[in-house]
Amino acid sequence: MRWWQIEKRNADLERELESDLAQEEEEQRENGMSAEEARYAAKRVFGNTALIREQTHEAWGWAMFERFWQDVRYAARQLRRSPGFSAVAVATLALGIGATTAIFTLVYDVMLRPLPFAQADRLVTIEEKIAEWSNIYPTLPVSANHFTFWQQHNRSFDSIAVMRQDSAPLGASGHPLQVGVLAATPGIFSVLQVEPNLGRAFNASEGQEGQDRVVVLMYDLWREQFGSDPGIEGKSIRLDGFPYTVVGVMPQSFHMPSLQTMATIGNTNRPLPVGVLEPLAFSKDVLAEDMGDLNYFGLGRLRAGVSVAAAKAELDALQHTISDHLAADEKATLSTALTPFQEQLVGNNRKPLMILLVAVAGLLLVGCVNVANLLLARAVGQKHQMAVASALGARRAALVRMALRETAVLAVAGGGLGVLLAAGVVPAMQQYLPASLDFRGPLHLDWAGAGCALLLALLATLLAGAAPAFMVSSTAPNEVLHTESRLASESRGSRRARRVLVGIEVAISVALVLMSGLLTTSLMKLMAVDRGFTTERTLTAMIDLPTESYPDTQHRSAFYRDVLGRMERLPGVEHAAITSVLPLTGDSWGDMARAAGDTRPVTQLPLESFRWVSPEYFATIHLQLLSGRFFSESDWGRNVALISEKTAKTLWPGKDPIGQQFSRGDPKEEKPFTVVGVVADARTISLAKPDPMMVYVPYWYRCQFVAGLVVRTHQDPSAMANAIRQTIWSVDRSVPVPAMRTLGGVVADSVANQRFEMDLLLLFAVSALFLAGLGIYGVITYSVVQRYREIGLRIALGAQRASVYRLVLRDGLLPVVAGAAAGVALAFGMARLVSSLLFQVSPYDPALAAGAVCVLLAVGITGCLLPARRAASVEPMRALRTE
Amino acid sequence: MTKQQQQRANLLQGTLDMLVLRTLLYGPAHGHQIGKHIQRTTNDFLQMQHGSLYPALHRLERRGWVSSKWETAPDRNREFKYYRLTEKGKKQLVAEESQWKQMAEAVARVMWPAAEES
Repeated sequence: MRWWQIEKRNADLERELESDLAQEEEEQRENGMSAEEARYAAKRVFGNTALIREQTHEAWGWAMFERFWQDVRYAARQLRRSPGFSAVAVATLALGIGATTAIFTLVYDVMLRPLPFAQADRLVTIEEKIAEWSNIYPTLPVSANHFTFWQQHNRSFDSIAVMRQDSAPLGASGHPLQVGVLAATPGIFSVLQVEPNLGRAFNASEGQEGQDRVVVLMYDLWREQFGSDPGIEGKSIRLDGFPYTVVGVMPQSFHMPSLQTMATIGNTNRPLPVGVLEPLAFSKDVLAEDMGDLNYFGLGRLRAGVSVAAAKAELDALQHTISDHLAADEKATLSTALTPFQEQLVGNNRKPLMILLVAVAGLLLVGCVNVANLLLARAVGQKHQMAVASALGARRAALVRMALRETAVLAVAGGGLGVLLAAGVVPAMQQYLPASLDFRGPLHLDWAGAGCALLLALLATLLAGAAPAFMVSSTAPNEVLHTESRLASESRGSRRARRVLVGIEVAISVALVLMSGLLTTSLMKLMAVDRGFTTERTLTAMIDLPTESYPDTQHRSAFYRDVLGRMERLPGVEHAAITSVLPLTGDSWGDMARAAGDTRPVTQLPLESFRWVSPEYFATIHLQLLSGRFFSESDWGRNVALISEKTAKTLWPGKDPIGQQFSRGDPKEEKPFTVVGVVADARTISLAKPDPMMVYVPYWYRCQFVAGLVVRTHQDPSAMANAIRQTIWSVDRSVPVPAMRTLGGVVADSVANQRFEMDLLLLFAVSALFLAGLGIYGVITYSVVQRYREIGLRIALGAQRASVYRLVLRDGLLPVVAGAAAGVALAFGMARLVSSLLFQVSPYDPALAAGAVCVLLAVGITGCLLPARRAASVEPMRALRTE
Repeated sequence: MTKQQQQRANLLQGTLDMLVLRTLLYGPAHGHQIGKHIQRTTNDFLQMQHGSLYPALHRLERRGWVSSKWETAPDRNREFKYYRLTEKGKKQLVAEESQWKQMAEAVARVMWPAAEES
């Protein structure tokens, strides 16, 4: 029988009983009874029709269900009678469960969800370590030479590959698309254990120079740009200006994390997703360099049963061999760093996520405590009702059921709402995923997390809900009934329990408020720090030149000179410049400057961060000149350089750096640079710390195919975006110009993660505060109601209103003060966890701690004041007369 | 309800099902008729409790031993819910009848051993 047939069934039974009753009545009348007598006689024969109905229902087999429905209806009725309580309880649970589930989903996705590769636990990233530079670069990318050596000699890996990710224009004429390109040695396919869906993987010969003009397309690019052409294999496409032959298309399920987000050097905060795979081929020259460029991201698949430590030991031994054969002027102590791939991807996102998880668990706990507290307060009120039921013969099980039905409805409603909330919030959290991990498609609500949060909340509610039943069943009902309820105040134990609960709420809230205070202050300081450059009215863009038409620095610099010249003439443009790396988007070129006369081996030279820039760069971002001059177009072709103050002090301590010379690489092959000026130290790599030694060389000396464009305008920069784009295209229509961003936006984006963490923590803290306030209010209001007569008596005996206020406030603030102290201790205990995330703020900051306590006290006083006023306005006569 | 009462109710319940099925062997009848018939046939020895009759009827229907249909009584201008024995019900009746017979015989053998021997 289906439940929806209940109503129909019931009507049917009703009709049956009625017709049979009428028949009986008729028969009685035929026996000579009067109409009225007959009706009563018939009813006597039938007996209790309600009972018949009930018993028949049992025969239908859904008595259980019916009883359940009855309970739900009863509970709903009870809850409707106190809408405030119900709303608060449901909202609290929904908030706690929703937030916890959402955060747990995020954490699970980032830290625990296995990467979408076969036996992903055997994938490790490989980095090099060079002891001499470890204070600046703890780890470095891999060099082609070393990789080849490892590949030939290692026994720990099934396969290894190195790769590099950059971007290139796709398509030839008119506004080409900028796509992410992953250049990888052919071993990548066996490392990741994937095969193209269509066509084939790269073969070993395509890993050699001259045969590397083949690509494998990613599924999305194939679908969007080539209309899912099934015959794409063998066709030629134009990438970076060159013709490439498509040899395969990857399966839809294959996603590749963006390497730019993980590289030790080089970090753009908005990487392009990989659209194309091409073979990475090394020239003979590159391979011959023992200490060539450390450029590549290394990834390996461990042989089954080989541990990370064993593999590292083997690679380190190989590195040792390489070290031994290095030329004297390149002496370096080499080793490696191996990290499980997933760990590397999570990187330094681990800690903030853990903090968020702890914070949200705290919020959930506060929520549960709050609901338990509210329920306990209600429970005392229901004691009387329970005692009556118990006196009338209800057994313990029935009492528990009676007590639980309300809380169960609350818990289910709150939980359901919470899961809905989480489901709504989770997709919006996608944008906050660390860029390195945001490659696996949309986030989905994690049901395990939802289940855990739900379970916890249910447990809390049900335990608190069952309390009154146990309280009653453990005492004789007549005892409860005999004590006059108004006079009887709450039992000492339950009062203490509720105070402890308030204390816990307050403690967690204080800790949360303090933590979010720390992060907020930290972020404010980070944004206010003197970064050494300004961002007003400044637009930025990344320009990507096709290598085919711009094969070298000479061609590229000519192009930029033309573009910049035209741009300077644009009305509204104050300055326009290009730079190798936009401020706060990472670092890309580390190199050693050898001051003239310095003969140390290369690894002992100081390591600087190099930028190639156009002369206007400094004026555009207002980077201050300390001495000397900027270079200008009139220096064209000459090796001149600007250095930062820190570089000047390191290379030429105590001397005037202007006019000094240095060289990078071999001074015999290349003309040395002459220092023409010194600029101030700024924060262009990270807001959190001053830049390392900087060296700025002109773009005619070196300029690569990707450049950052910076334009300072006189008016609103957004109006200029199109004019700037048109200017670039007026020089060459085959150059893709992606979206323009303001420099202010770039700066803000560099702290987007911190802002997200702060926002969430703030939200949690405010929620926890609100809940704590509610908890205090509830407890005090309840105790005032309980002590109504006592207070009336006090006033009748001459107590001043002020002393009544004092009485209530003291009662209410005691757990708040105790909780606040515990909360500060809790926050200090967790200081180690947060301190590394803080900028110029001590986790033990006394002002912030005091502030957090004050906030809680204010909330506590607000929560107490209303009930205190109520207590002080008790009319003694009425209070004593009631009941 | 005590344990003792419960046992008696169970015993009666089983018997009642059989009696209802047997009554319906004469043809379709509504609840009131069935009750009246059992009462009359046993000379009012079995007082029909409506509280057990209707649950019994609905239970039998759920098990598929009887089917029901609203029909107008031939002599009265009113609709009644008529119960009718199904094929399955007939088989059940036979089974219950033989079970009852065995039971009665077994009880009789214990109660009146002499009578059995003679």
